[in-house]
Amino acid sequence: MQPAGMYSRDRCVTGVHGLDEILRGGIPYGSTVLAAGTCGSGKTTLGMEFLVRGANAGEACAHFTATEPSVKLLENIRQFAFFDMKMVDTGLINVFDMDVLYSWLGLEKSTFDLDDVHSLIKSIVDIVNTIGVTRLVIDSVTTLCYKIKSEQLIRDFLFTLGKKLATLGCTTILIAEITSATENAHWSSFGVEEAICDGIIVLGDIERMGHLLRFLQVVKMRGTSHSRAKHAIELTPLGVMLTPMLKWGAISDNVNRWGS
Amino acid sequence: MAKEIQFEAEDEEFFGKVGSFGVPKFDNEMRGGVPRGFTMIAFTDTGSGSELFAKQFVSPAEEAENTIYISTNEGQAEIVRIFQKYDWPLDINVRTIGEEYNSNVLEKELLASRYRLEGFRLEDIQRLAQTRFVDENNQDYLTEVTNEVMALGPYFRAVVDSLDFFLQRDDPARVVAMVRMLQAHAQMYRGLLFLTVSTDGLSPSIKQELASIADMVLSFQVRTIGTDFETSMMVSKFRNAPENLKILVFRVTPEEGITPETVERIA
Amino acid sequence: MSIVGGLEVFELDQGIADQLTEVSLNSSVQVRCGNSNSFMVTASTLIPLLQMFEMKGVYISASRGAAEVIQAFESVGIDVSQIQFIDLVSSGILGGTNIPYNNVHFVDSPIMLESILLRTLYILQTNQSERNFVFVDSVNALAIYNDDRMLAEYLHTFINTFRQQDVLSVILNVPDQTPPLVLSNLDLYCTDLVDRGQVVIH
Repeated sequence: MQPAGMYSRDRCVTGVHGLDEILRGGIPYGSTVLAAGTCGSGKTTLGMEFLVRGANAGEACAHFTATEPSVKLLENIRQFAFFDMKMVDTGLINVFDMDVLYSWLGLEKSTFDLDDVHSLIKSIVDIVNTIGVTRLVIDSVTTLCYKIKSEQLIRDFLFTLGKKLATLGCTTILIAEITSATENAHWSSFGVEEAICDGIIVLGDIERMGHLLRFLQVVKMRGTSHSRAKHAIELTPLGVMLTPMLKWGAISDNVNRWGS
Repeated sequence: MAKEIQFEAEDEEFFGKVGSFGVPKFDNEMRGGVPRGFTMIAFTDTGSGSELFAKQFVSPAEEAENTIYISTNEGQAEIVRIFQKYDWPLDINVRTIGEEYNSNVLEKELLASRYRLEGFRLEDIQRLAQTRFVDENNQDYLTEVTNEVMALGPYFRAVVDSLDFFLQRDDPARVVAMVRMLQAHAQMYRGLLFLTVSTDGLSPSIKQELASIADMVLSFQVRTIGTDFETSMMVSKFRNAPENLKILVFRVTPEEGITPETVERIA
Repeated sequence: MSIVGGLEVFELDQGIADQLTEVSLNSSVQVRCGNSNSFMVTASTLIPLLQMFEMKGVYISASRGAAEVIQAFESVGIDVSQIQFIDLVSSGILGGTNIPYNNVHFVDSPIMLESILLRTLYILQTNQSERNFVFVDSVNALAIYNDDRMLAEYLHTFINTFRQQDVLSVILNVPDQTPPLVLSNLDLYCTDLVDRGQVVIH
């Protein structure tokens, strides 16, 4: 029998170079992780790689895209050396356009009420359940939540969705767009996502002598110990590559200059 | 400079200066029929017989391919049934906007309710994952209808029954603009254009505007007398022929359709 | 140095080749040179790696643009087809990246040290070879842009990363122009030293 202190949750091995080491083995299964990042920080690429790596391992994956058309998204992931279009053809990678989903559900409106939110949750959960999705990415939850006007409703939406997906054993990455990734910044647009999610991965840029260096930092991950250090990112055809950021170079020039 | 249309002498002889309303007794009352190039607006009460009159108006169909009946309320089957009943020609162009709208929009709404209530089936999900674009929902029927009528050639005959559909979904100013274009087209091509619009909910200013564009204004009314209904049509404008202004009480007969019975002159 | 048949011919430093026969793949070699002999020292280091040991490698070019380096190597008959270049200079020159070589990768600036490391790792992953080297040309050029502490930290990480991966790292520097902190760290972490920093004028 395993001693109580030795218990560790099963992991969803992301397959992203370096990320599993940071997470000491991967994301605990069924977690809902917020990947919050500034524009151009590599959120979408990270999300897509997470799915493609899963599909490579034979897992069914789903991607809901609200920020760019799926056609473009699929074009972009072709650059991954480990991506094969067969993954889409055989149903391992399922990309859904949110605007098509909204249209099918009759949700082509600017604001969602409680009923709309519940029908959206039901549809996503239906899809996950029916095709046995174990990896899910919603890109972005910020765009989606803009349609939900009440903070309470956003909280309900994320909490209910996260709970239902966890029950189905689906590990989810919710991509969030933020305007700043500095120490004092919020890691979500609505202030509630960060509290509800099991994990937060922040992606941003550090300015070093006029150049932007992408970084990734795991701020929180329930159910696992993990590194909280900033890691530099390079986006390559082999996927996202990570290395610990130099300690003497991990502070943005602006922060040094202005102390903010 | 206004566009000039060259009419064939043969056509001028065949079509003549006036066309039939499709109701012989009414043609007599209007001194031979309706002058070619006229746009007629009928303001209608519910149940006043205007739909039948509209169909009857296209029944002369001098050239079937140059005749169109556009309905926003009825389906193809219903229209064919009426035409068969009165032995009117079946080879004219018919477009049923209401039916198209139902299949394009309402069916989609019904499907959305099903998805919301019952969820997605596997085949729905597979289809959803392969659907990359949202179906264009905002079909501009107003522009389509305008283009369709304006594509008709000289001596055309067209009916739009009714403008209510457009007035409810579009900016009324756009609808008025469309009527202006159609009127100009009818005038230029010596066509006959018959438009209906119900009086319920029609703003006085739009009614006024439509009446001023039209060359002939009719009102279809229904009233109760004791336990009976009396249907009548009032001709309240007839360009350059005020002597035609009158009220005609009519009934519907199985042989002739709309059949005027009594006439009361109002001018 | 003389010109024979269109090629510049110079005397290779055979001592470097001899010394390199002693190092293992997980070594890190600090190669010290002077201002005037840097090209001869570089060539004398690369030739045995490519020809004797049949290695593939990554050349991090911080001193000069990769195109210029390639042309210089080709002018002395060094076949660079087995080398992938990471050019840290040309992105800083408008139009500098418009060069006819497909074995050159660009990093925006020498200050993007982590990107250089990751790009090197990426190239090594795509290299179909078990015997690889990484050549840094040079610490002095990196020192122009980077803070001493950050550069020292970087070289520490860099050397250890490649030692762990059994990739030979060769780090070129002109010692009398290298910040003392960086130099002492190099002395500490590098496993071997090829010292051609004292130039003997014949």
